[in-house]
Order: sequence, then structure tokens, then C-alpha cells
Amino acid sequence: MDIANELYLQQSRRSFLAQGALGIGGIALNSLLLGDEAERTAVGGLGDLPHFKPRAKRVIYLFQSGGPAQMDLFDYKPRLAGKFGKEVPKSVYPDARKTTMTSGQKSFPVAPSILKFARHGQSGAWLSEALKHMPKVVDDVCLIKSMYTEAINHDPAATLFQTGSVIPGRPSMGAWMSYGLGSENANLPSFVALTSNGRAKMGQPLYDRLWGAGFLPGRFQGVKFRGQGNPILDLYNPAGVSRAQRRRMLNALGQLNREQEERFNDPVISTRIAQYELAFRMQMSVPELIDVKSEPKRILDLYGPDATKVGRYAYNCLLARRLAERGVRFIQLYHRGWDAHGNAPKQVKTQCQDTDQATTALLLDLKQRGMLEDTLVVWGGEFGRTIYCQGKLTKQNYGRDHHPNCFTYWLAGGGVRGGMSYGETDDYSVNVADKPVHVHDLQATILHQMGINHELLTYRHQGRDYRLTDVHGEVVKELLS
Amino acid sequence: MKFSLFTRGGWFRGCALFALALLPLRVTAAGDEISFGRDIRPILSDTCLKCHGPDAKGRKGRLHLGDRSAALKSGVLSDGEMLKRLVSADPEERMPPSDAPRKLRDKDRDLLVRWLKAGGSWPENDRHWAFVPPMMPGLPEVGDSDWARNGVDHFVLSRLEREGLRPLPEADKATLLRRVTYDLTGLPPTLRELDAFLADEREGAYESVVDRLLASPRYGEHMGLDWLDASRYADTDGYQNDRLRYMWVWRDWLIRSLNSDMPFDQFVIEQMAGDLLPDRNFYTQVATGFNRNHRINSEGGSIPDEWIVEYVADRVETMGTMFLGLTLTCARCHDHKYDPIEQKDFYRFFAFFNNIAEAGLGPNNGNSPPFIKVPKSWPELSEKETVFVEPVPVKITIQQTSVPRPQPGAPDTVMVLHELSKPRETFRLERGRYDHPDKSERLQPAIPEVLGGWRKEWPKTRLGLARWLVDPGHPLTSRVTVNRVWQHYFGVGLVKTSDNFGVRGDLPSHPGLLDWLARGFMENGWKLKELHKLIVTSSVYRQSSAASAELHRRDPENRLLARGPRRRLSGNAIRDTALYTSGLLVEKIGGPSVKPYMPPGIWASVSNAKYKRGKGEALYRRSLYTYWRRTLPPPTLMTFNAAAREVCIVKMDQTTTPLQALASMNNIAFVEAARFLAERVLRPKGLDDRGRLTRAFRLVLSRSPTRGELKILAADLEYYLDDFRKRPAAARKLLGVGEKPFNKKLDPAKLASYALIANTILNLDEAITQN
Repeated sequence: MDIANELYLQQSRRSFLAQGALGIGGIALNSLLLGDEAERTAVGGLGDLPHFKPRAKRVIYLFQSGGPAQMDLFDYKPRLAGKFGKEVPKSVYPDARKTTMTSGQKSFPVAPSILKFARHGQSGAWLSEALKHMPKVVDDVCLIKSMYTEAINHDPAATLFQTGSVIPGRPSMGAWMSYGLGSENANLPSFVALTSNGRAKMGQPLYDRLWGAGFLPGRFQGVKFRGQGNPILDLYNPAGVSRAQRRRMLNALGQLNREQEERFNDPVISTRIAQYELAFRMQMSVPELIDVKSEPKRILDLYGPDATKVGRYAYNCLLARRLAERGVRFIQLYHRGWDAHGNAPKQVKTQCQDTDQATTALLLDLKQRGMLEDTLVVWGGEFGRTIYCQGKLTKQNYGRDHHPNCFTYWLAGGGVRGGMSYGETDDYSVNVADKPVHVHDLQATILHQMGINHELLTYRHQGRDYRLTDVHGEVVKELLS
Repeated sequence: MKFSLFTRGGWFRGCALFALALLPLRVTAAGDEISFGRDIRPILSDTCLKCHGPDAKGRKGRLHLGDRSAALKSGVLSDGEMLKRLVSADPEERMPPSDAPRKLRDKDRDLLVRWLKAGGSWPENDRHWAFVPPMMPGLPEVGDSDWARNGVDHFVLSRLEREGLRPLPEADKATLLRRVTYDLTGLPPTLRELDAFLADEREGAYESVVDRLLASPRYGEHMGLDWLDASRYADTDGYQNDRLRYMWVWRDWLIRSLNSDMPFDQFVIEQMAGDLLPDRNFYTQVATGFNRNHRINSEGGSIPDEWIVEYVADRVETMGTMFLGLTLTCARCHDHKYDPIEQKDFYRFFAFFNNIAEAGLGPNNGNSPPFIKVPKSWPELSEKETVFVEPVPVKITIQQTSVPRPQPGAPDTVMVLHELSKPRETFRLERGRYDHPDKSERLQPAIPEVLGGWRKEWPKTRLGLARWLVDPGHPLTSRVTVNRVWQHYFGVGLVKTSDNFGVRGDLPSHPGLLDWLARGFMENGWKLKELHKLIVTSSVYRQSSAASAELHRRDPENRLLARGPRRRLSGNAIRDTALYTSGLLVEKIGGPSVKPYMPPGIWASVSNAKYKRGKGEALYRRSLYTYWRRTLPPPTLMTFNAAAREVCIVKMDQTTTPLQALASMNNIAFVEAARFLAERVLRPKGLDDRGRLTRAFRLVLSRSPTRGELKILAADLEYYLDDFRKRPAAARKLLGVGEKPFNKKLDPAKLASYALIANTILNLDEAITQN
């Protein structure tokens, strides 16, 4: 950037914070943008929030799209080795909730994991050999082996995890947080979504609604950071247009718009002026944010070779930490490719190669900065996978279909007990045997760590007070430290 | 009184019959008499009915405060129990409990206490206002009868006079022309139209502009947009891989029906039951695509029975929102918590729609049965081609081991409704779950009694249901419809909750006006264009929107209507304006959707589909023809708060965000348009810079710049020119944005400088707002 541009920037920064004419500081901006609903805090949160002292200031949700196989990663079932190829009993797995991808199979043979497991850390948690790095942080992690959901297809299942309902139109978890808690950074959105593809497979599609605002005002939706072109849609000036020219244009817009405001007295005009200025500042703050190459080598090495490759999972994890540092409240990653209908052992390994090191690095990095304490990290997908084989079962290979009845999630940091394992599955990893945790329970727990009573954060839509957890959900207190 | 001629029909027929008691907004001051319907019921609904309401299963303490006889029988209103619970300081006793999600505001508690102390009277006729059919009220007397042009003005002015407010004067002609041209066609006036109107000093000049706009084919395109949003119209299925479908023929039908001003009752009947009409034909069959616009799941592995339930429920819910203004969704899983709609009522509605010859899973690309083939000559069909077509029945084949898929419909088909010869059985579903039917009672199609009567001659089919919806005795359809029309103009409906007229919805700001419009709409033959004309020719609509800061503070949402409407344009109108004023817009009505500019990788980065951008004309069509991929809808339109089209939405918010600024400053479509707006003013000979700047300004804003404004723009022009002369390569880069090459005869530095000026003008608050 040339010096003239930098000067303009500084000038505008100063003028933005100090200028009486605009009358808006960075923080007041948020409350100005709101205005339609209840009273707002200085950072634009609801007046009565948080409901109690939060344990976490932010959430990083590492969504593993497609449905990772719990028995190939965390849910160790050594005794199933002897049941190789034998039918999964109908009493354990009734036909009614098998998907129509496999419900027509003549046989439902047990496919025990061929991956080796070992115990790690002081907690002695069992981890699959596919997770080569995770042993380093296993004592910071709280494994939930007894997650379950009702949805058996990707779309409704992912929508349920992100919005609390299989039916579209509801706000996503991050949108609820932005709505309730406001933003800590005047130059960045409070809710950011990042996506990446695995090397194994293209994977399942994602949808705007997963980070959408639903019926909440649109400003609460997650801003999608993109893996190619402009990091945020239309962020950069058109080719040939300099920052100085843009500053000039914004000055004219501001002046002309203020004349309108004097005539019409419509408060929306000053909001618009402020938003144009915020856009201008984002043009600077975002490139600075995504400049991961400025990180020291040891940090880049920690996240692995993909750390500087835009749009990869490792890059997104590093970006997540940088966003967290800058006060972004809810950082939602999606990594695709876990949908292992065939070739499951190989796919699980490849997915882990893409994600394991960076996930581990993120926890280590947050920890060394003292940020893990108040950052809640969530890992998991939309459902688990079947123990019975989809397609042909061999000694070296198997496929696994969607499985909603039990799967593994883990949490770390943000006031969650590390080094523990919660809940049990039955001998086949088909049903929850002890301490079931439903999607809504997990959501209630995440909100709780952010200082939100999930029953009290509601929004009136079509005459009904909606909340993230619908009419369900209980905080799983045993997970909390 | 200056009633315009076109309203000699029903709008005024019932005027003098009798005056309906007017229910004002909730502004009960201390000392006013308490009205149960106005003051008490909304509080009960808001804070009490969740636990003490119609839902028998969720009810606590066996207390039902949603029903008069139950409430009276319980005795709590008269025996002091309720009063005691309200005023008690004991947290165990006090209501609502401290952990209740809905707090009782102090002033509401006071009202309840006052009401109970005065005897807790609950009138025998306590039907919720919206369930009582509208009557034609008399026009209220007003002091300033010169101001009132038509009935609309009487209602608004009488309220203003009671509030001690005066309406604002009429907006200047240019502002008014721009406002009404946007409202009726979604585009600004041309300079010729502007000059003609400014010069036309005849009485009725404005009315003839309105007539011209109502007759413009753009009217149907623009008015169709709200209907497309509410009807969740899209070009894809909406689940998972989001496979494509072909429904544009239905969109064509919609635009044509609106342009020909098909009476709204017929419009509803054809969409709900065009396949069941005695004189059904190809067009009425196409109309039924309305109820096929819902999402369809094609994901392998889905269980068909589960999804058929979802489609049928979507139809019920869409009908509920669009015609009844009721949240029937709530009754899908349990008795409604607030409105007198039982869960069984939901499934009785459900039974009307549960007979479609459809498949549970989609075909994975292509239309899902039932569909019909569309002749190549569409929309100009020969007489032979206009006959009703029997759809090919569903043929299921098993794919991928056990996935049952129907045959796909090719691009030359359109999805329609078609009845099964033997209807599916309908049962109440426990908690709404497809695999938990309550088989103890088979439910028949029927409407809830609370919503009015059913005529014997109506068949118990969708056709009967449609006839019921548009029956003159129906309490809701007309009110809900005129309210949405009002919302179209003023941003907020007379009932603010335009999607909820139930007991938890807002009371109307002008109940008399709502009923007067609703009744008049029906009695005037459900003619939408007349309704639009009535509103836009009223003095209320014609007011200036330049209000004082004090008025903004007093009435931020303009519910009292003491000023004219001022609203940001829709994303569609913002993009269309850029294309139109720059001369790029390709106006062609109807046809398949097109794929204009979209930043690279939007689809490919998160899905298994690639966006193949169109070329030439496809880049410059009106936004309503933009390809709508439901899971990844057009990002620029979404940035400007478009409805996502996943489920029925009748009310969009108007958030202002920095992403909007980025889009209209930097998006390729807007930059290219700015470039062509620049060319447009640079091409004519005989204009100097001032003349060109003025012209560009007028093209977008329909007014000349002030001297001060011109000065700012001229100084910027000079600055950009100076800059681009030093950096000619930068100018060429800017001129290279977009598919269309720039005019090589023009000086690149000058053109680029004008492009930035055009970019500035198109980004003005005034450019994206209707003043």
C-alpha cells in the first residue's frame, strides 16, 4: 500500500472515532444499527444478557460435515472384532430407521473398525490411529460419546445442529449469539463462517441457511469468508480504483447523504453513512486479518503445510484463532468429506490427515496464549455412521451409512472439563447405553457457557417466542468444570 | 369530497350503513375504560396462555385463560385468586413465575389488576376481532374534508386529528412520480416521463400516470415478486444437492395473471384447485404449480413417507400464512398455544392436500410428478393446446440398492397438482412425526369452526377449500391480502404482523380502514389494480416524506401515517435501477431463469454444482428472472434482505449492513452499470460537464442536483480525471470490468472518471430509497 492511502486510512480511522458530524463511535454503531428491538448494551447485545457470568467469550465450532464414523475414531469396541461379518441383530438395529440407501440390503453384517486404538494422556482416552496429533491435547478435551439426533439425512441433520430445527427458516446458533450478545469488534462481523473441502472426496454440500439469520434481522447472519477471490464478497475495490479515490467517493457520499438527512430526518440515513464507513474500514481490517503469512514460522509449522493455503482446513483453523483474538464471537468452520458410504477406512484416514494436525494446533495455540480458558471449541458432525457394512464387506474395507442413534462429539476450553469422557454406547455402537445427549442439550450447553439461559433467549416470530432449542434441551452440567 | 371516478363501485356502497366501533392502537391511558379485547386479551395471550391456554397437554393448574367459559367456570377472575397471584410478593405464589420466559410488564400487570378489581368482566361475544368477518364501516367524519381525496384519507385523517397531528403537504411532483413508478413497476421514471409529468398541469395528470403504470407490463413483473417470495418459488429442490427443477412456466402464468388483473378470488381458486375446476384447462392447471413450489427432498436414503408429510404440511402452512394470516405451523405438533386451533384442525386442513399423486423422494434432477408437458408455443397456446392434460402417473424405480425414485420431468414440463384416484388416509400425527399416526380416528377434510361456515354446495376438496377462502363471509383472506398490499406501499401493514392475525398478532393501527379496504376489495370484484389505484391516489400516500425529527421520534414506524412512505428499495429494484438507468436492462417478459454475474466459486466451494454464468442478454434481465438456487440463493439479492424462498415469507426485514455498501460499490454488475451510465451521458453532443452531471443525476434520482450537489460532483470529477490522466492503465482496468466492451471513441480517462461519478450517484441513499 502506498503512503497516501495509508494516510487516508489513518485519517478516516481517526475521523470515524472522533468526528462529531457522524456522531458515532465504533461501539455505539452497533446499538445504532439495532434499535428495532429491546434495549441494547454498549456492544449491541440485549440488555438482559448475559444472564449469568459466562465461562466462554467466544465459540469456535469445527463442524465435520458428512458424519464422521464414531467407531473408527473415538468409540472403541474391541469386542466387535470377533463379530466380523455376523448380522447386526434386528433387536439392536431395527429396520425402520435405516436409510433407503441401505434398507434394501439383504444383509447387515458387522464391520468392526480395522483401525488400531490406543490409550492416551492422563485420562487414558482411547483414540484411533488415524488421530496422530490429537493425543497431545486429549487431556484438554471432553469426549461426548452419547450424542444422538433424529435426522438421518444430511440436510435436515445439519440444519438441526446449526439451527435447532430440521425445518428451514430458523436462525443459526451464531446468529442467536450475535443477536443476544452483540459484537466486540467494530471493524469485523461478530459471526463468521469458513468452509473447506477434504482431499478424500468432494463431500456433502453446505447451505447458506446453516449460517443464516432465519427470522432474525438479516444483520445477524454469519458473514461467509471465501476461499477464493475476495475474502468477503465484493470486498475489494474494482480494478483500477484506488483507495484514495474510494475515500474521495465516500466523502462525497457522506456529504450528500447528510444533506438528505437534514431534509428527511430519517435515522436510517446516518446508519447508512456509518455502514459505508464500516465497509471502508473492513477493506483494511480484513486483508490484515487474513494475512496469515505474517505469523511466525513455528506457528505455521504447528498448523502444518496447509496453514497458508487459502480455503484449506488448516488455514481456516489459523484464521479462526486470529478471528478469536480480534473479538469475533462465533466462528463456524465447516469441513466437508466425512460421508464414507464406501471405502470408509481410507476416507477416515484422509480426512484426519486434512484436519487432525490443525485441530490439535488450534487447541495448543489457544492454550499457549491463555485463550483456551475462555474459548469454547466444539468438534463434531451431523450424525454418526452405521456399524453394519454398506456394500461389500472385506477384511480390508467397508462402507458405512448414516447413523443418528449415537455418535461422538468433543468440547474443549470455555469452562468445560478436560480429560473426561461422557456417556456410553452399547456393544455395537448402535444405541446410547448411558447418559444420552441430544442436539438440543448440546446447544443448551454451548449457550450456557456463553452466559445464556437457552430458555430465555427468545425472539417473537409469527406470534410465537422461538428459541434455539425449540421446546427442548437441558444443560449437561456434568461436562462443566 | 373528491372521490375519483373509478371508485363508483363497492368501495363506497356501504359507507353510510353504520359506523363500526373503532379499535384504536393500544393507547389506554389511566382512567380510560378497559376493553377486554383491546387491553386484556393481548396481555393474557402474551404472558399467560403458554401455560394456561388452549393446549390441553401443556396446561398448568388446569386453568384455561384462553376460553371465556372455562375461565369464568374456574372462578379465578371473581374469587380474588388471580388478583392475589398478580400482586403477591411471595415468589412461590406470584404469577407469572420468576423463571417464566415472558415477563409481565408493570403497566400490563397494573391493567390486569385494574380489570380484576373492576370485576374482571369478559364479554359474552369475545371472538377475536380477526375471526369476525369485516363489515363495511362508515367513513369517519373529519375536520379538514378538503384534504381527503378518498375513503383511505378519512380513516387516516380522523385518527391524526384525534392525535392532534396534521398530515404533511403533498410531495413535490418529481418525488411523487418516482415513488409511484417504483411502487407500481419497480423502476424509476425515464427523463421523458419525468418531463412530461412536470409539464402536465391538467387536473388528473397524476391519475393518468397511475393508469399508465398499472397498464405497463412491468406492473406484473414487479407485483409478482412478493408473490414469488411468499410462494417460495425457486429453480431448485432446496435440499442437500439441491437439484434443478423447471417451474418458470408457473412464473409466466403469475406475471400474465397480474397484468391482466385476474380477479383475486379467481387467482386464488386457480392456484389452489385449478386442476379440479369444472372448466379446468391448461392454464388453470399450470396455476396449481403454486402448491408445488415447496422444497422436495432428493437426497438418497430419505424415507419417502416422511417427506410426503413434509410437503403436505408445507402447503397447509403456506396457505395459513398467505391467506389466513395464521401460524398453523404451531398446531402441527400440538394444540395451538394461543389461537383456538386444535392439532386435529391442522390435520383436517392437511387432509385437503394429502391426495396428490406425488412421490416422497424427488427424482434427483428434473421435475417431480405430477407434471405436464408444456407445448413449445407457450405462452401463446393454440386452442387445441389449452385443454386439460392428464399427467403421467408416478413410476417408481429403485436405484442405488433401495432408493425409490420417480421418473423426472424434462425441461419442457411444469409441476402441477393432480389428485390420486384413492385419497391417502389422514391421521393426527403425534408431535407431528410421520411415523406416529393416531390411528384411532381417521380425519376428514374440514375447516376449524372458529373461522366461519362451510357451504353445503362446496365439495370437500381443495376446490371447496379455495371457494371457502374467497367467500365474502370469510373473516381473513381479504383482510390479510389488503394488509399485504398496504405493506407493499408503507413498509408496515395496518396490522404490523402481516403474517399473524391471530390473538398474538398486533391489533390494526386503523381497524376501520382495514375493514373498509377488505370489504371494498371483495365487493369490487377482488380487483387488485383498483385497490392499488385507490391507495396511490389517496392523499395519505401522496404526502411528503420529509418529516421533522420530532415526528420520527414520536412515530418511528409511521403507524399514524402523518407523513408519506420512505423506504429503501428491494435488492431487485436496486440492481434493476442500475441496469435501467445505464441503458443495459434487457426487457423481455417471462421465460426460463437466467444466470447473471456471480463471483466465482460461490456454488463450487460448498456444493457439487458449478454456476455457469450466462452471456449477453442473460446478464441484463430484470432480477426476478435470476436463477434461484435455494440453498445458495443469489448473494447480492440476499445481501439486500431478499426472502430465501425456503418456506413462505411475507415480511422481509430491512437491515442496513456494510455488505450492502460493498455490493453496490464494487460488485461487477454495479460497476459495469456505472460505466454505461457514464457512457450514456458522454455520448450526446452539446452537453458540457455540468450538463452531463445533471443528466446522470436526473436519470437516477429524477431531480436536478442543487448547486451545492453539483459542485461536489464537479470537483470529484476533476479529481478523478486528474488522477486517471496520470494513471491511464488504471482507467483502462476499470473500463474492463464487465462483459460489454467500452466505447473506444470515448476518452478512457474521462469515461473512467464519469464511471466513478455514476458509481457515486448510484450509491446515494436517495438512489436506493423511495422518498
